[in-house]
Amino acid sequence: MDIRTQVSTNYGDMATKFADTWKSQVSRLQARFSTAIEEVRMPIEFPVDVPIVYVKKDSIIGVLSFLKTEQGFEYGFLADLTAIDESPAEPRFEIVYNLYSLTSKARIRVKVRLAEGEEISTAVPVWRGADWAEREIFDMFGVKFTGHPDLRRILMADRWEGHPLRKDYPLRGYQVFTDPDPINQSLLD
Amino acid sequence: MSKDGSAHFFTTKLDAMINWGRKNSLWPLPFGTSCCGIEMMATFAADFDISRFGAEAMRFSPRQADLLIVAGIINLKMAPVLRTVYEQMSEPKWVISMGACASSGGIFNVYSVLQGIDTMIPVDVYVPGCPPSPEGVMHALLRLQEMVQKGETHSQRRLKAEGKEYALTAKA
Repeated sequence: MDIRTQVSTNYGDMATKFADTWKSQVSRLQARFSTAIEEVRMPIEFPVDVPIVYVKKDSIIGVLSFLKTEQGFEYGFLADLTAIDESPAEPRFEIVYNLYSLTSKARIRVKVRLAEGEEISTAVPVWRGADWAEREIFDMFGVKFTGHPDLRRILMADRWEGHPLRKDYPLRGYQVFTDPDPINQSLLD
Repeated sequence: MSKDGSAHFFTTKLDAMINWGRKNSLWPLPFGTSCCGIEMMATFAADFDISRFGAEAMRFSPRQADLLIVAGIINLKMAPVLRTVYEQMSEPKWVISMGACASSGGIFNVYSVLQGIDTMIPVDVYVPGCPPSPEGVMHALLRLQEMVQKGETHSQRRLKAEGKEYALTAKA
């Protein structure tokens, strides 16, 4: 079977349902942001379930707030915010924003490619809920978000060295601490 | 003394009597972190009824417990907490490692998981299974009772080596 053949998903046949919506939305995006949109992958053409919009790092906040507030888009819900380590590919990281529209029930995916050591603007001013998701990305991949209100580790111990979901982190890179975690005085009232 | 005034005696060794008391009044601290915790709760509940063995007094404060049942996966962030809880328990104290994860890390041989709680605290009885059945936990409890009676547990051996076998008499 051709991998591009359309199949039913848990979300229903989104590709048929939202084909026109997505087409007009993507052309509006490209008209508005022109070169800031690096690449667009549409369902059927590519083996993807929802359109993937690759955005340049510097215009990500503009694109996200446009998608959130603009009439006809209204992707008001940040369903997920995560990252992928694509090494040895260059640039190495992909930051993935999965958006959902509570009005049109459509979904869209925004991605940003980031090289090692590059920073990206925080999405917290757009969605308050991006706070902990970005902390998790920082914890697991070491990607820094400029302007984040509280960029600390969220899952691993504060003393942990390295970022475990990086491809070059050893699978069995245990760091065992026998004494209790030191109390972070700055977090106390 | 009996009713007619004659003296009645029952002689035994002091350690046998103390250990008999200890083994029949184990107070568990249920340290349940995942699915083993559910089986542990089933063991405590009416169907399997752990109070038949005198171990029904659950204590969530380590100061009031002498049996630590570690049921479930211990990740590296939890490991120092587990050690602190163990150190806070009063002597003599016993540990049951319940299930594959607590005993060896189980299927989780990755960066975030402690590879067996015996790397962190001494363990007296291991219960195999993923998760173990309540019968397995009860078997472990009976095995622990045997060990306590004979003074074979880690805690009792250490206290004996230190000459503090009986905390009540060793105070002097």
